Amino acid sequence: MSGHDSKYFSTTKKGEIPELKEELNSQYKDKRKDAVKKVIAAMTVGKDVSSLFTDVVNCMQTENLELKKLVYLYLINYAKSQPDLAILAVNTFVKDSQDPNPLIRALAVRTMGCIRVDKITEYLCDPLQRCLKDDDPYVRKTAAICVAKLYDINAELVEDRGFLESLKDLISDNNPMVVANAVAALAEIEENSSRPIFEITSHTLSKLLTALNECTEWGQVFILDALSRYKAADAREAENIVERVTPRLQHANCAVVLSAVKMILQQMELITSTDVVRNLCKKMAPPLVTLLSAEPEIQYVALRNINLIVQRRPTILAHEIKVFFCKYNDPIYVKMEKLEIMIKLASDRNIDQVLLEFKEYATEVDVDFVRKAVRAIGRCAIKLERAAERCISVLLELIKIKVNYVVQEAIIVIKDIFRRYPNTYESIIATLCESLDTLDEPEAKASMIWIIGEYAERIDNADELLESFLESFPEEPAQVQLQLLTATVKLFLKKPTEGPQQMIQVVLNNATVETDNPDLRDRAYIYWRLLSTDPEAAKDVVLAEKPVISDDSNQLDPSLLDELLANIATLSSVYHKPPEAFVTRVKTTASRTDDEDYPNGSEQGYSDAPTHVADEGASPQTSSSNAPYAATRQPAPPPAAPVSPPVPDLLGDLIGLDNSAAIVPADQDAASPVPALPVVLPASTGQGLQISAELTRQDGQVFYSMLFENNTQIPLDGFMIQFNKNTFGLAAGGALQVPQLQPGTSGRTLLPMVLFQNMSAGPPSSLLQVAVKNNQQPVWYFNDKISLHVLFTEDGRMERGSFLETWRSLPDSNEVLKDLPGVVVSNVEATLDLLAASNMFFIAKRKNANQDVFYFSAKIPPGVPFLIELTTVIGNPGVKCAIKTPNPDIASLFFEAIETLLKA
Amino acid sequence: MISQFFVLSQRGDNIVFRDYRGEVQKGSAEIFFRKVKFWKDDGEEEAPPVFNVDGVNYFHVKVVGLLFVATTRVNVSPSLVLELLQRIARVIKDYLGVLNEDSLRKNFVLVYELLDEVIDFGYVQTTSTEVLKSYVFNEPIVVDAVRLQPLSPAAIFMQGTKRMPGTAVTKSVVANEPGGRKREEIFVDIIEKISVTFSSSGYILTSEIDGTIQMKSYLTGNPEIRLALNDDLLIGKGGRSIYDYRSSTGSGAVVLDDCNFHESVRLDSFDVDRTLSLVPPDGEFPVMNYRMTQEFKPPFRINTLVEEAGALKAEVIIKISAEFSASITANTIVVEMPLPKYTTRVSFGLEPGAVGQRTDFKEANRRLEWGLKKIVGGSEHTLRAKLTFSQESHGNITKEVGPVNMTFTIPMYNASKLQVKYLQIAKKSSTYNPYRWVRYVTQANSYVARI
Repeated sequence: MSGHDSKYFSTTKKGEIPELKEELNSQYKDKRKDAVKKVIAAMTVGKDVSSLFTDVVNCMQTENLELKKLVYLYLINYAKSQPDLAILAVNTFVKDSQDPNPLIRALAVRTMGCIRVDKITEYLCDPLQRCLKDDDPYVRKTAAICVAKLYDINAELVEDRGFLESLKDLISDNNPMVVANAVAALAEIEENSSRPIFEITSHTLSKLLTALNECTEWGQVFILDALSRYKAADAREAENIVERVTPRLQHANCAVVLSAVKMILQQMELITSTDVVRNLCKKMAPPLVTLLSAEPEIQYVALRNINLIVQRRPTILAHEIKVFFCKYNDPIYVKMEKLEIMIKLASDRNIDQVLLEFKEYATEVDVDFVRKAVRAIGRCAIKLERAAERCISVLLELIKIKVNYVVQEAIIVIKDIFRRYPNTYESIIATLCESLDTLDEPEAKASMIWIIGEYAERIDNADELLESFLESFPEEPAQVQLQLLTATVKLFLKKPTEGPQQMIQVVLNNATVETDNPDLRDRAYIYWRLLSTDPEAAKDVVLAEKPVISDDSNQLDPSLLDELLANIATLSSVYHKPPEAFVTRVKTTASRTDDEDYPNGSEQGYSDAPTHVADEGASPQTSSSNAPYAATRQPAPPPAAPVSPPVPDLLGDLIGLDNSAAIVPADQDAASPVPALPVVLPASTGQGLQISAELTRQDGQVFYSMLFENNTQIPLDGFMIQFNKNTFGLAAGGALQVPQLQPGTSGRTLLPMVLFQNMSAGPPSSLLQVAVKNNQQPVWYFNDKISLHVLFTEDGRMERGSFLETWRSLPDSNEVLKDLPGVVVSNVEATLDLLAASNMFFIAKRKNANQDVFYFSAKIPPGVPFLIELTTVIGNPGVKCAIKTPNPDIASLFFEAIETLLKA
Repeated sequence: MISQFFVLSQRGDNIVFRDYRGEVQKGSAEIFFRKVKFWKDDGEEEAPPVFNVDGVNYFHVKVVGLLFVATTRVNVSPSLVLELLQRIARVIKDYLGVLNEDSLRKNFVLVYELLDEVIDFGYVQTTSTEVLKSYVFNEPIVVDAVRLQPLSPAAIFMQGTKRMPGTAVTKSVVANEPGGRKREEIFVDIIEKISVTFSSSGYILTSEIDGTIQMKSYLTGNPEIRLALNDDLLIGKGGRSIYDYRSSTGSGAVVLDDCNFHESVRLDSFDVDRTLSLVPPDGEFPVMNYRMTQEFKPPFRINTLVEEAGALKAEVIIKISAEFSASITANTIVVEMPLPKYTTRVSFGLEPGAVGQRTDFKEANRRLEWGLKKIVGGSEHTLRAKLTFSQESHGNITKEVGPVNMTFTIPMYNASKLQVKYLQIAKKSSTYNPYRWVRYVTQANSYVARI
């Protein structure tokens, strides 16, 4: 080959495309190859060369692999935009898939799988079938991945053609590369499928563990990750697995090491022998530490994972704190993570060493790092009571250097130390007051003011100090204003003399009349009223003893920590968020039509429903519901709801009612698995736009099922949706897919929802505030309710044993009781089915006199279990419901949900 | 699995872009670059290697100033993706000989061909240069190796002494030599990065060695190779107990905390005679990585004296002593020390007759810099610096300066005493005698003296 490829990037000024066209059709092979290279070069810099499609495809029939690969690359890029022309390539593909050269065979299936054009996909099946059984392992391993590609385009086709079975056969292939790809493909399909496809039995387990030893490093990661789903039967099996995985810890590839660590940690939960566990911890420590010798990017991932691991098993790295000391040349993101882990590993034994480090870091250049180091000292003081005094003396030393941001940060943490150890270290207040006038950051100022107010009786000139802040009261940020208000009230209550009295007048005036901040105003009015009606009560309220704060270095919620630990060596463990909080799967294809084959309980017995509907000739609206989700999920949309816009309110009410009309539910069921939705925005409020909506759960995901009915005179388009902060942080997982709605028509959509996006603080509430807008109308706001049962996850089933154990392990204070007087259980079977359909799993039943007692389990993200006991007399009204959960705050929401379920 | 892979230049230009799954929008490279560039408002703080923007997860590593990036929507193994990005860089380097914007652009067709074999539908297939050779047909176009930034630690040999063939590390493993036949040779580099923190009184607070035995083979026919290490090598702190009487004196065995091996390495006789055997694949790869916290003698001692000299003045004296044999020479030494923020002027005084030294006061970040071209073992060098301040210090000047940080490279020196005792190539014939290069080098990782 002559010259440099980069010459292909140089452009001639005029007529580039015609020129290329000419060259592509040249009779000389070399010229054609050069031309294709030029086309690819243009393509990579984003130029549109799709008009050359036919000319490029004409170059495809060649024995020259280099040229063939280039043409294929082009095809993958443009086939989608030129589906009719892409068909031209099919013949060559099919021919290539039978070429004597295995590289060409593999190349053909690999490329065909990347072209997401239906017509091509049809032709892919036969070659794929052949290639899955090819003699050459390179072809087989390529075919294995191709099955996953096909599944993504057309899942049905994969199942119908038996490719899943072929893929499972490949697990026993004699080539480890093929095995690894088969495992990867199956794992992906399993992930995207609504039913179990790739279950790991003890037989597959042992086969894969054997393959592990021969695989490439990447294959080892695929296999280890797939196996981590396996639950060992008992401690002995767990030990066996661990024994075979442990050698992976010695691998040079960090991904292999972390995946092995994940697997070992998981099996360790089952291992009962403390000796074995101790030994394993000992074995895991050196490889974990060695990860910190890798590139900084990998160190970061390792540190985020170690952060989780030490929260569960602090002993693993208890003696290794030195390796987490920051290096001079660590990037800042590594230093920050190391600090976190140092705090977690700090103990009475090593605190002196740790403090020495922190003190050193606090004098470095990077401001954010310095701040974090200062905070770290404070957090150690809070964590280690016996070391608190030493920590404080280091903080005081740092304050004396008088670097502004160090001082401010120190004051913030000292406030926390005062809260943790009340009446212990107040002697240092005088030193703090010296730096008063240098404070310019709101949090530091607020902290200092809090300290002055809290200890007003011990600070001789507390009134003067506070007064100095008061001058600038109106300009201060809200945080500081609130603290000033409270501190002044405290001062007044402690020293009710003339000075403070004047001050309080000024402050209250400022905070009520002069401000437009409602929080500040409200607080000021409360104080005002308290002070004017009953100063003693004011004292009780304002000067009440504060709860002692505790160490927050292991701040993760235990159930979240469990979930994150199960996700070690995944992104989840880097973000410290459960996967559902950031994984938004975009299902672009209309592929899942297996609903009929795999009914989820409630639909059982209605499988011939569509025919029934057709008989009545009542599905005229099919075309109007062309939102993508609607199209896939509802082969026959409910005739009732969309058909009848003229009487929407009546219908909405009718369906919203309990069991009042016996005919309605029957019709509804017969019509379609999709129930009619409650109206959330009536047409009268929405200027003719009516919205009905409900949260639902399908295939393990939460959706907002919505129906838009346009009763206005104009077409509506540009629909968008937004959710306000709510208890579960529910938010839209994608854009709202509603097409333009002509007057008199309606549209249905299923909006995928994600959790933990915008959490609201405060007590749990079922309120879901929604805003919807379109291009023609003002923004509409409406309230909906979060029924807890849509959050119940599919993995909420508990074994009897673990149910009993969990029940016992939770304290009685976590048990909440409620009578549901209006509920009748008349048919046990039906009720159990109904609850199971909502992922409330039946565990056991017992008789108590004439009462029946049922036990269920359920789980909501992030892995919060509910243990449920229902007591009732069959056929008689009244059900007593008792639940136990680590999170009893949301019990009330639970009761609402179960009441709705049982009444349904 | 990953969705896209791309390489961006420092300016954010797309050099290579490959979409494997079509799930992430096309503008991802731009979104990524903007996010990385402006991670914090001030543009100071570095973005972490993994982050999420609007449901898309971005991974990146920096290699010779280029950004290697991958995106995904699913909950993948981040260490796999980051490791993969590093490996892709290595494979491309193996093929192109050198890795930079220019060589990537000149070889884009080859790079795409490689990427198609390395990843299929987002799943890594192989990153072994050896395996890839059977599936990749484009020939690399070799670019000029001069004025290149080094990629691997071994690249330091390029600046190096005349004993070593400098060009070897920039040779493509697949391209033929211009002269026709390939030269039969194999490189084994023992590269150690040392980290030491000295307390203000000169005690060693922490010390650590991160080592790699790196191999790059240009041998035809892939013969088997045996590498013998120190026969008294011990692994794991636990193993120390029996030999305690030797290791605790510091003179005896080399004790590694932990080590791991490349997958081609067979350890059949490792436990018996500390010998590794392997058939080296093509390309550069680490045979063994190791880590050691056993005490070792640091190559340099740093003594620093900071004294106030009048109201707005102070004097800093830094003395470096090279505590290794006189037959060894360290090169490219840089000593740095942060100074108080209110420092306005610094005047330097070097020893009489000093050559190859430079001094600088970096005003932007208030830092003193002292560069030395080389330091011969056993010698001592001193720097005096007079500081002038714009305001009085807050009391204790030593709290506001430092620590002193030092970077250096010492060829033919290794702190751990780990050695390759011999390198045996399974003989084809008695005349077959390829070039064997076993080279040692020690570099400073974080070499810090507190004040």
